[in-house]
Amino acid sequence: MKINKETRQLSKALLRASFTDGQLDRGRISALVTSLIEKKPRNYVRVLDAYKRLVRLEVEKRSATIESASELTPDVRAEVLANLRRKYGIDLATQFVVNPELLGGMRIRVGSDVWDSSVRNRLARLQQQL
Amino acid sequence: MSTILEDIETQIAGLKTSTSKSNVGVVRDTGDGVARIEGLSDVMLNEMIEFSSGVVGLALNLEETEVGAIILGDTTRVMEGDEARTTGKLLQVPVGKALLGRVVNTIGEPQDGKGPIKAEASYPLEKIAPGVIKRRSVNQPVQTGIMAIDAMVPIGRGQRELIIGDRGSGKSAIALDTIISQARLNKAGEDGRIPDFRPLYCIYVAIGQKSSNVARALAVLEANGALQYTTIVSAPASDTAANQYLAPFAGAAMGEWFMDNGMDALIVYDDLSKHAVAYRQVSLVLKRPSGREAYPGDVFYLHSRLLERSARVTEEAGGGSVTALPIIETQAGDVSAYIPTNVISITDGQIYLETDLFYQGVRPAISVGLSVSRVGSAAQIKAIKQVAGKIKLDLAQFRELAAFAQFGSDLDAGTKARLDRGQRIVELFKQTQYGPIPVEEQVAVLWAMQNGYLDSVPVEKIKAFQLKLQDYLRTRKESILNTIVTKKALDKDLEKELAAALDEFKSTNPV
Repeated sequence: MKINKETRQLSKALLRASFTDGQLDRGRISALVTSLIEKKPRNYVRVLDAYKRLVRLEVEKRSATIESASELTPDVRAEVLANLRRKYGIDLATQFVVNPELLGGMRIRVGSDVWDSSVRNRLARLQQQL
Repeated sequence: MSTILEDIETQIAGLKTSTSKSNVGVVRDTGDGVARIEGLSDVMLNEMIEFSSGVVGLALNLEETEVGAIILGDTTRVMEGDEARTTGKLLQVPVGKALLGRVVNTIGEPQDGKGPIKAEASYPLEKIAPGVIKRRSVNQPVQTGIMAIDAMVPIGRGQRELIIGDRGSGKSAIALDTIISQARLNKAGEDGRIPDFRPLYCIYVAIGQKSSNVARALAVLEANGALQYTTIVSAPASDTAANQYLAPFAGAAMGEWFMDNGMDALIVYDDLSKHAVAYRQVSLVLKRPSGREAYPGDVFYLHSRLLERSARVTEEAGGGSVTALPIIETQAGDVSAYIPTNVISITDGQIYLETDLFYQGVRPAISVGLSVSRVGSAAQIKAIKQVAGKIKLDLAQFRELAAFAQFGSDLDAGTKARLDRGQRIVELFKQTQYGPIPVEEQVAVLWAMQNGYLDSVPVEKIKAFQLKLQDYLRTRKESILNTIVTKKALDKDLEKELAAALDEFKSTNPV
């Protein structure tokens, strides 16, 4: 979807206003959305769409998906969580997913960064090397 | 067999403890050979990215929240929602002598069915051109074998000489003739017939051309024994715009390997008009702002950074050279259009081909007035300078006088002599396709013309006379030709020998 400059600038301004102490503030976000819907500025639906996308990207940056081939034990989960929060801050949202396609090991994705120690990845690398 | 198993076991053992870190993104939309990817926060400009289907892309637009990448390969295998990851590598092509005699695509994959290429190294497509300190002046000739070019618009090794003209005016033919001439010289050099000879390897980059044209060029080079010294980089019209845009850079990378290893290379970019069109398409699809004629703002930089990679470098930097022959197709002879003026200003001269001359039978249809070589004369051998020094002036005067002579029949003796001389030079410069003339024969023929041996020959018989003379010199007076090759200059003794040979030839072949 192509958005115009004005819409893009407004949505970016909204995103900038959505932080409290460097972290996304759920209360401020809902207040901003409500205010925008009430005031109905020009192209406000498009602004909301663009704002939603920016918030989604911001949330993705601060959320971790931990995939494993089998269910992780509570101890391992706690250790992984502690390590990730130490690296990315305590506001990191986490999600544990069981993905048998990994065959073994773990794959952690935080934003654009991926740490992959799964057997599937190792096999793929081995295939490339051979 | 056991060593193979051990190898695999070691590699598996190495993998056991390793965790790979990568930077990934998700394809949000794809179309027209371009993918827009969200994520990829650490991607670098021009970095290769790999899609989950194994297809490779190139990151060209780094925006605030997304990355625009061109897809190299099967675009249908990249889908919305696919993961893309950075590779940390720039796009590279195989380089080296293993590519000679082969036809490859933009990423160096063989297209000729002759099996895989065992390349010695890989070079990045985009590379900064050699700087001022690394360069040295152009002082060695590229013998094109086309008399009009070698005599009037000489090309030196490391020069960039534009070939410009309308469609069907013989631009590609000049480039192919030059490649064939190099192959003949390379063979003569290998046989030890030319002292201090440096072979010149050729790379022919076909951009946006009909596949049949590329096949024809391949057949011509093969038939003339030139393919073994040539690499053809083919990005035909059926290829994606991204591949067409990258093809000349791949050719330049292949040429640079020769330069870095102390050898000489010649690259023909056929043609840069279609290259600019392909780049315009890529830019528009990437939603980059468009400028004049809808070309993006950096279309000048596109060609300048490509052609700047042609250079002759110092001995410390390898001592090699890359010569470029870019080709530009004009529309109805308009050299003042956007892309032609850009490339004219970048190159060190141009060979301008005129359709009118072509249809008058003057082939190659080189316009003497508009063609120029800014550095090439430094690269001419002395013998050519001695015989061809005044030819350009003679021809220019002839053209002017010929225009006036149309209005009246009474001409003074001086004017008539000039017109006669001009007509004979024009006839001499007519040349058949794929028939390059060795420089020593050029010297002998031009010397004969300068010294009045052709004045008694009727204009319509000049060409036949020239061919007979060349044949006579080749078969009966090989020693004179060999002396020209070794001495590279005409001295009193050589001139006497030439005069005697010509007298003998004229007495045995009365016109």
